[in-house]
Amino acid sequence: MSTDQILPPPRSSLLPLLVDRHGPLTEELVLKPGQFGLGMLPGGIQPQGLTRSVCGFCSTGCGLDVYLRDGGAVGVAPSHGYPVNLGMACPKGWEALAVMQSPDRATTPLLKTASGARTPVDWDTALRMFVNRMKAIQKAHGPASIAYLSTGQIVTEEMALLGALAKFGMGMVHGDGNTRQCMATAVTAYKESFGFDAPPYTYADFEQSDVIVLVGSNLCIAHPILWQRVMRNPNSPRIIVLDPRRTETAMAATQHLAVYPKTDLTLLYGVAQLLIERDWVDRHFVAAHTEGFEDFAKFVADFTLDRVAAETRLPAEAIEQFAETIHQGNRVSFWWTMGVNQSHQGVRTAQAIINLALMTGNIGRPGTGANSVTGQANAMGSRLFSNTTNLLGGRDFTKSEHRNQVAEILDIDASCIPSEPSWPYHRIMEGILSRKIRGLWVVCTNPAHSWINQDQARDILSRLDFLVVQDIYHNTETAQMADLVFPAAGWGEKEGTFINSERRIGRVKKVAKAPGQALADFDICRLVADYWGCGDLFRRWSTPEAVFQDLKRLSAGQPCDFSGIADYDELDRRGGIQWPYPASGPDGSAPDDSTERRLFADGRFFRPNGRARFISDPPRPWPEQPNQRFPFILNTGRGSAAQWHTQTRTSKSAVLRKLYPAEAYVEINPHDARALNIVSGAWVMVISQRGYIRVRAFPTPTIQSGQVFIPMHYEVANRLTDAVFDPHSFQPAYKACAVRLEACR
Amino acid sequence: MIALPIVSEHEVGSRVADSPPARTGNPAALHGPDLVAQLLADQQQLTAVEQFSRTYDSQSPKARGELYRALLPAELKAGQQYAFEVDLDRCSGCKACVTACHTLNGLDENESFRSVGLLVGGSSALPVLQHVTAACHHCLEPACMIACPVNAYEKSPITGIVKHLDDQCFGCQYCTLACPYDVPKYHAGKGIVRKCDMCSSRLEVGEPPACVQACPHQAITITVTDVERIVADAETSHFLPGAPDPQITLPSTTYKSRRALPRNLLPADYFQTSAQHAHLPLVIMLVLTQLSVGAFTGGLLLKGLVDRRLVEALEPLLLVNALVFGLLALAASTMHLGRPQFAFRAVLGLRHSWLSREILAFGLFAKLAIVYAAAVWFQLGGLIDNGQALIDALGWAVAGSGFLGVFCSAMIYVFTQRECWSFTRVMVRFLLTGMLLGVGMIWFSILALELFAPSPQLAELVRRHGTVLCRAVMLSAALKLAWDAAIFRHLLVRRTTSLKRSAQLAVRQLSRVTLARYAAGFMGGLLMPALLLSHVSSVTDQSRPEFVVATAMLFLACLAGELLERYLFFAACASPRMPGTI
Repeated sequence: MSTDQILPPPRSSLLPLLVDRHGPLTEELVLKPGQFGLGMLPGGIQPQGLTRSVCGFCSTGCGLDVYLRDGGAVGVAPSHGYPVNLGMACPKGWEALAVMQSPDRATTPLLKTASGARTPVDWDTALRMFVNRMKAIQKAHGPASIAYLSTGQIVTEEMALLGALAKFGMGMVHGDGNTRQCMATAVTAYKESFGFDAPPYTYADFEQSDVIVLVGSNLCIAHPILWQRVMRNPNSPRIIVLDPRRTETAMAATQHLAVYPKTDLTLLYGVAQLLIERDWVDRHFVAAHTEGFEDFAKFVADFTLDRVAAETRLPAEAIEQFAETIHQGNRVSFWWTMGVNQSHQGVRTAQAIINLALMTGNIGRPGTGANSVTGQANAMGSRLFSNTTNLLGGRDFTKSEHRNQVAEILDIDASCIPSEPSWPYHRIMEGILSRKIRGLWVVCTNPAHSWINQDQARDILSRLDFLVVQDIYHNTETAQMADLVFPAAGWGEKEGTFINSERRIGRVKKVAKAPGQALADFDICRLVADYWGCGDLFRRWSTPEAVFQDLKRLSAGQPCDFSGIADYDELDRRGGIQWPYPASGPDGSAPDDSTERRLFADGRFFRPNGRARFISDPPRPWPEQPNQRFPFILNTGRGSAAQWHTQTRTSKSAVLRKLYPAEAYVEINPHDARALNIVSGAWVMVISQRGYIRVRAFPTPTIQSGQVFIPMHYEVANRLTDAVFDPHSFQPAYKACAVRLEACR
Repeated sequence: MIALPIVSEHEVGSRVADSPPARTGNPAALHGPDLVAQLLADQQQLTAVEQFSRTYDSQSPKARGELYRALLPAELKAGQQYAFEVDLDRCSGCKACVTACHTLNGLDENESFRSVGLLVGGSSALPVLQHVTAACHHCLEPACMIACPVNAYEKSPITGIVKHLDDQCFGCQYCTLACPYDVPKYHAGKGIVRKCDMCSSRLEVGEPPACVQACPHQAITITVTDVERIVADAETSHFLPGAPDPQITLPSTTYKSRRALPRNLLPADYFQTSAQHAHLPLVIMLVLTQLSVGAFTGGLLLKGLVDRRLVEALEPLLLVNALVFGLLALAASTMHLGRPQFAFRAVLGLRHSWLSREILAFGLFAKLAIVYAAAVWFQLGGLIDNGQALIDALGWAVAGSGFLGVFCSAMIYVFTQRECWSFTRVMVRFLLTGMLLGVGMIWFSILALELFAPSPQLAELVRRHGTVLCRAVMLSAALKLAWDAAIFRHLLVRRTTSLKRSAQLAVRQLSRVTLARYAAGFMGGLLMPALLLSHVSSVTDQSRPEFVVATAMLFLACLAGELLERYLFFAACASPRMPGTI
């Protein structure tokens, strides 16, 4: 780098003040060549060093270059050398550091006093309070009377420690994570169909398909960097989008099927029937690698084209074209996100997608797969190691051999491990209501905003004897309700690993100081263990990297085996590593170390007989159909690429705030708006059986008549939603309930 | 049961303060507050950062060059310039370009030179949603550059890039009004405007601009475009649906799409209009300069039309008042500058900037007015031959330069080509303000003299000409109010034109200001003169309280009404803009 000062040219001798081309204001924005081949950079972020960390927002798992100067981070920009994002990032990634620097950060433990005010206390006081209150509750009401809610946003090492501490050390039985709200459906679907929770794809599949089917996924907005991979596909792929709304992704599709809400299952069965009817089935693959096809074929025979067209409100030709496109494709990949997962019949819908991939042999080859695009940065880590529904490493709490394996690896007594699985999230909420659960430890999630039927959720949380919230901000909706707040360090302030959608384990690094007395969740858990008196049990959990070594051992022999990864440094060097990555291949050979790997190339699935299973159930209408009093169907979802979940982070960046509407709004079809005398930008009341909210109207033809859409990022949205759950995954169905609209006068 | 080690407050405090050594070999040996202290200290240690630091050999600038080649243009020939090209089919609305511009250009907290708007349209059967990324269009005829009074903009004769010279800018913000695309943004903290320069310093070393680098879908590229093509394209007005008319500045950006965009495509914020910046110093400056010019002219007309002897009692104070208000106006105008210490640079733009011309005209006006007012006040006319005629000529020169100034003021706004600031609308507005407040000033001066230096000539002036003066106020007020209110007829127009937006702003968001404006205008311009009218013809004692109150109210309410009118002139003028978001 040239360190020469750029000297101002000589000023006009006659009129020195009249013309000033190169003064201090100009200098502020002068760019100079950055080191490390970074190109021209402004002075403020000129680095002396560079390191890479995986982004902490969504599950895409982009690599971000962290610019280091004077021993700390001064900026971030997307990594060019990382195989996930290839030098790009969405707005959230660009602002990953900025959102951490906020006056809303929790900097000291906060204790709610009798008057309801919150007072700062030191960690010692806070931890004693935590232990005393939780133990008192357990003493009076049994060990299972305290529970925890974990997250998909902290590193795997931390969620493993949290889960182990809660269940093995503190005697809790019930704990779940906010991943219940986003990925539970995919987990259950994969487990039942493939025998293990195993999204089979690698991102290169987006570039290698010739047909891409997106179900309930607005990839452009929810996963912009995955859309980048679609845009890089050199095969001019045909893109089919199933979504009731005409989203950005639907706009870019070659075929958009605007299905009537929650009839996607019927449509997928109808397409399966068409494929069978026209003999467009890969009989060889079905016979060799699957089971249950004959029953499935009999089941879908009822889904005639006429019936499906009538129920989905799609033209029959469009459905036929969909089936034909799948048939014509050589490499068809199917992708789904929250439109499928957050449904009253999400698991069967996801499995209907899996069925299509199986029956057409579109799995295990480049550019194929039945692929769930995950939500949170470490939802995939949580699925394996949160120790909530599954025992560590994707194991089963009810199996004694699994408990023994874990006990042996972690050097603990197997009797510490509960033999029953946790209640899922909604059962924990019910448990609070029925006073079976009285103490709750919420880590890095915001149920008072995000849980379905919000007024009821807040009422439930308010009934707890003791609510502890551990978060990086002191003012999340849930933290404000807490009896005790633990201030946590966030992204960039601690060490660990994330696992992204394509099963890539990537490293997160400590590059900035946490404010005040905030501590990494890892350290908070260690302190809780110490104060609880079970510190000895967790002696081996000394540092995140030590835990990583144990996680490797816990994964060994499981489908998610990554025991072949040496250490953090190897992850760093190789740009993340996808599981499986066993220490050695099946025949003792070296493991395949390609950068992009997919599952099931050999057609062997993780079920005992090695076959994937066709699973189906008759579609059911969702409970709250639109009716005379509430004639509209409310859909909720992602608003913009600059917003993330409950906005606890994305609302902290001034630049991100410019990129989305400050006020909540409802999308409504212009025809409906006219009928209700609602004009663009006007305030409207949106009313459901559970509550009413006041939002701005945005009439747009992209939403169909009879439907409305409200982004979930706004606090008010979930006051309307109806607490309905998928019967298999218990994931809340956020995408459909009945509402009424009234213009505000 | 657990036994916690007891540690005194002092011990804990000193532990934290002394920042103990980095994590010991066996932290598990620590318990309770000791462990807390150790972990808090560890949390603040960033020693590992050095261990992470390393260079990326593969990321040599050359390797990056390969990556960017497709995004950068070939050499420029004569008659060509660089331009942004946006492939609308690839713009998915992720807005990474906005954050990348912010970060890679080291801009302030909420500053970015790029923005992304949204167009919505089509039918329910085939709806269309189109995000649109936009930055500076590096126009062929940049309104910002032409408007700038200090030559703080340059358009490169080679690349065509319109660059802002931050140190040359004195923060008049005229460019923010002149640019139809709302591109230059005023930075109040720095007192200057800043804008996109297409990352010229990056282009110079073969690196694409920040937004181009950062678009995951390669929707933005830099192209070489023919100047002739820009002119030809502007002829058809097909720059971008919902964007301002390209004829105004000939923007160089190309928006391309393989899709046929529907005819009903509208910006997502089409039906929303928000009140604009009111520019208070400009409100004061405009109204008071017009008052001053009106009062000087009023004085001259009085002298010409009525018995000079009667006018002589009034004239000195009238002219001094006019001068004081005029100077106040000019003082207010410097308050508007972000960096008033460089006000003198305004002479540079005389050849193209109406703001430079206005400053010059009013500068001349002020100097002449000082001499003229002094000459009349000190009765210098009698000292030399033809002195009175010379002073009269000076008076007309004052009025002439004043009118020139008002004309330049009006042209500043006419230049922006906003509909609400059309030549007739602005010019009539400004002249009627001058007329109303000029007569108002005569009344105010009469009042001041009646209270502090009554004379028989003055009493006679009022008796003989008070009625005409009242009617002059009423006439100009009626004209002014009617002229201003004419905008409201656009509320009846079906289409959301820019004039309808302006009228909507006045009756919705700014309804209180509007109400106050018409109330003040009615009271000062019609009610008070009507009261005075009955008064001046029947009563002789002009110092009676009714006269005092009515005259004072006449002037103050007229002045307040005009200030509020000028507030609305800025705040309720719907500005053109690129498509915005909901």
